Amino acid sequence: MTRKNSNPKKTDRDTALIKSIQGGRTDLFDELVQRYERILYNFSMKMCGKREDAEDVVQDTFLNVFKYLKGFRRETKFKNWLYRIATSACIKKRRKSKYAPEREISLDAFIPPEQAQVEQETPLWATLPLNQVLNEELGRTIEEAILELPEKYRLVLVLRDIEGFSTEESSQILRLTPANVKVRLHRARLFLREQLKSYFQDP
Amino acid sequence: MDHHDRKQCIRLFEKLSEYIDDELDRSLCEKIETHLKGCPPCQACLSTLKQTVAMCRELKAEQVPADFSDRLRKMLLQQARQL
Repeated sequence: MTRKNSNPKKTDRDTALIKSIQGGRTDLFDELVQRYERILYNFSMKMCGKREDAEDVVQDTFLNVFKYLKGFRRETKFKNWLYRIATSACIKKRRKSKYAPEREISLDAFIPPEQAQVEQETPLWATLPLNQVLNEELGRTIEEAILELPEKYRLVLVLRDIEGFSTEESSQILRLTPANVKVRLHRARLFLREQLKSYFQDP
Repeated sequence: MDHHDRKQCIRLFEKLSEYIDDELDRSLCEKIETHLKGCPPCQACLSTLKQTVAMCRELKAEQVPADFSDRLRKMLLQQARQL
């Protein structure tokens, strides 16, 4: 009987490049930067909201990748490992800033009230095609609402709903159980939905 | 009897994100779908949550400042020399 390797090496679009850099071709590091600078900047802006902070996060992330890449054993995709580093850089950045204190979001706050006050019909904004409803102003409103989320919820929402990572990948990046990722994601989405409801209700 | 089974609604409400993400098993999905057919408030809840998720997925990517790439490379080069 063959023994199953519990930690098989992951192969992906970055594998060849990573192997070359690990093998001494540090000149290829720039290609890695080119591949990921834009998406990391986008991730950092969604997480931090400020250009200077986002730039610092991207710089710190690449610096740490450069420092620790030799030790990367491909037990996860390179992209997931990269985001784990970027996530730590975001958390570090927040600890240095004064805003966005950590707090819990309780599910109870979002449970629909008793029948009489419950929304009986789907509001118009939820039925329209996205291109008719999502304009620049609403986009900014959503980004601001995301920044109002406590960081542990924001991280999950940005990874899952903006960066497109799966529950499993997000749980690897954040070192959380998949169940925990799901709980945080649901609360984060409910929080955003409340902000959207207010946006569409306010004259 | 109130047609609106509140306990059922709350149970469903807790699972709505997993339902949207197609992460529930078939039998639970069927339960949710049966409940939704008779419950307009839950339908409204699901639609608004779905649209919220769809909007997040369609947010525009941030514009990277024009000079950032150059500054990033200069800084990385400088720091790499010190390592």
